[in-house]
Amino acid sequence: MSVSVLVVDDSPMARKMLIKALPPSWDVTITQASNGIEALAAYRTGTVDVMFLDLTMPEMDGYQVLETLRKEDLNCLVIVVSADIQPGAQQRVRQLGAIAFVKKPVKPADVQSVLKEYGILV
Amino acid sequence: MSAVILTDEQREALQEITNVGMGQAGASIATILNEFVHLSVPKIFILRADEISPSIVSLVGDAEVSAVRQAFHGAFRGEAIVIYRNQSHTDIADLMGYDPDVDTVEEYELILDVTNILVGACLGGVAEQIRADIGFSAPSIMAEHIPAGRLISPDEVGSAWALFVEVNFALEGRSFACHLIALMPEEEILAVGKALDWFMETL
Amino acid sequence: MIHPDNFPLLKFVVDRVEVGIFAVDQAMRVTLWNRFMAVHSGRAADEVLGQNLFDCFPELPRKWLEKKIQSVFVLKNYSFTSWEHRPYLFRFHHNRPITGGIDTMQQNCTFLPVRGDGENVNHVCVTIFDYTDTALYQGRLKSAIADLEAERSEQRILIKKLEEAHNQLLQSEKLASIGQLAAGVAHEINNPVGFVNSNLGSLEKYVRDWARLLDLYEQAEECLAPHPEVLAGIRDTKREIDIDFVKDDIRQLIRESKDGLDRVKNIVQDLKDFSRVGETDWQWADVHKCLDGTLNVVWNEIKYKADVVKEYGKIPEIECIPSQLNQVFMNLLVNAAHAIAERGQIVLRTGHERDWVSVSVSDTGVGIAPENINRIYDPFFTTKPVGTGTGLGLSISHSIISKHGGRIDMESVVGSGTTFRVWLPVCQAVQAQGSPG
Repeated sequence: MSVSVLVVDDSPMARKMLIKALPPSWDVTITQASNGIEALAAYRTGTVDVMFLDLTMPEMDGYQVLETLRKEDLNCLVIVVSADIQPGAQQRVRQLGAIAFVKKPVKPADVQSVLKEYGILV
Repeated sequence: MSAVILTDEQREALQEITNVGMGQAGASIATILNEFVHLSVPKIFILRADEISPSIVSLVGDAEVSAVRQAFHGAFRGEAIVIYRNQSHTDIADLMGYDPDVDTVEEYELILDVTNILVGACLGGVAEQIRADIGFSAPSIMAEHIPAGRLISPDEVGSAWALFVEVNFALEGRSFACHLIALMPEEEILAVGKALDWFMETL
Repeated sequence: MIHPDNFPLLKFVVDRVEVGIFAVDQAMRVTLWNRFMAVHSGRAADEVLGQNLFDCFPELPRKWLEKKIQSVFVLKNYSFTSWEHRPYLFRFHHNRPITGGIDTMQQNCTFLPVRGDGENVNHVCVTIFDYTDTALYQGRLKSAIADLEAERSEQRILIKKLEEAHNQLLQSEKLASIGQLAAGVAHEINNPVGFVNSNLGSLEKYVRDWARLLDLYEQAEECLAPHPEVLAGIRDTKREIDIDFVKDDIRQLIRESKDGLDRVKNIVQDLKDFSRVGETDWQWADVHKCLDGTLNVVWNEIKYKADVVKEYGKIPEIECIPSQLNQVFMNLLVNAAHAIAERGQIVLRTGHERDWVSVSVSDTGVGIAPENINRIYDPFFTTKPVGTGTGLGLSISHSIISKHGGRIDMESVVGSGTTFRVWLPVCQAVQAQGSPG
């Protein structure tokens, strides 16, 4: 069965880069959202298994998405993808419930190792 | 404002690349200064020469500022300007290895140092992503304690259009904050556009 | 790192180029030290290579320099210093030991990251350029600019003074015109005043004769007894016009009119004396007359501020230019009045001592602050509010008195008053014979 993946980023190029970086062997259905509100809407219509979430976005940013998900106790694996790669920022998103952090510019090897680390990809 | 010089797609790509470049810059600076760095979402405008000064005023307010200029050259050329509101620089003296009670001359050396780090990290990060090779000249003091609106006069700008990339830095727990703008003339904007096209094709 | 030692041409260039070049690794150990560095530091390459930079040169600003080099390692980017903000990194002698006036080589430094294999920076190379000549030229340029600035501000002051002098000239021209006008008007007034005065003299005589005649008529009234209706008419009219009062008052009116005319004559005379602006003739004059005349002219300025007390001594006429002395006395009197805040007293004293005459003007005003005493005769110096004084009164007075071969001195006590005393020679030939007082 294919895995449902939601890619959230306000930049089409960043979404494109991330999708390119996903392992080619991985059987996935991809949905895209360009801000937090769209992301939550997409999430609520179906079952999203894995969410790749950018932090800085207009309308609703990644931090707010994480807070909402945690408050509503929704079940989803969130991997934050961000250009802000200071250790402090990584710590903050983990506290908000993200399981992993991938730094921009996204490299296929980084995505793969994160997916493997959390058993999403065997 | 005209988007003719850069397509929407190019502009969006540049914004994202700048965002990533800034993130890298922020991380490097955080390592050096041992402080958390707040970064704004970078903003990119293409401005007419006469719109540059008002844009600076709307960015920093019409306060008195000091500014440092640093040229970059290579795959594309331009000038980066880092604008400091007065009274805010001494706050990071100790982080940069200066005595906390810096005198005026040292204070200028300090903002030259800070400028060099910000510009190198930020623009260097952008250039690296699109595999463009750029170098930097030594930074120099552009203005001391003048109203922000007088920093750049339209007749000083040698090009009809300029790419205006705006990034704001602030240190958590310190009053230090500054604004970085990168200005590039028209033909250099076109060079950046080509480099961006090439970069997007390789994705 | 591509070490120059492995490349003879590169090694030659690095060694002989007139630029200081050295490198350090992450542990701040020196890994490159060219000849320029060796010559100027006095430490040969084999003494410092492999050693910690700060052990070799403890005088370097360690905290700052370490941070700077560290940032190059981390950011993989160039860094710079400029002589303008940091004159030197190493204290080297410069190439102008005789003519420079600077004791240390002024340096611009570049810190460049040296990437070894892969991404990491494993050395930081520092180049040191000698900017001493530039610094000297810039220093000279700066002092030249400062000189120009100073000159410019001096010029601005001079221009301002010129403007003031010009205004003053206009003012004195105006005064001269007013003086001429006044002299003209005085002359014109003199004519009617003359005939009114003479008419008044005749009128007085006629009235006296008339009164004498009227007395005779009055005595003759008794003769009119047979004509009671005529007598009644006369008495009614006398009562009606109050003839006793009229007889008395007519004399008084005439006397007062003559007094008034005398005053008009005096004022006209003072005006004529005072306004002889162009007059530069030396003549023998009575100083008391000059003083009284000037006092009349400026009376309006003084009367609300001070009571004037005259303590005139017995003095001879002196050889002088009266219109110029009038100007001196006017300045002293006006200053005295201005110095009095509410109400006070001005004392005019005159005296005679050997060949000299003295005139002093004392006021009970605010006095002159000690810091201003040396400047009171400077042109344009004034402590009066803008527009009140020109700052020229005392300087003009001073030059007039000098021209007369005299001297002016001053005593002042802050809070209680000031006395100016003018000494004038009785005759101009006496000038050379000793000083007054």
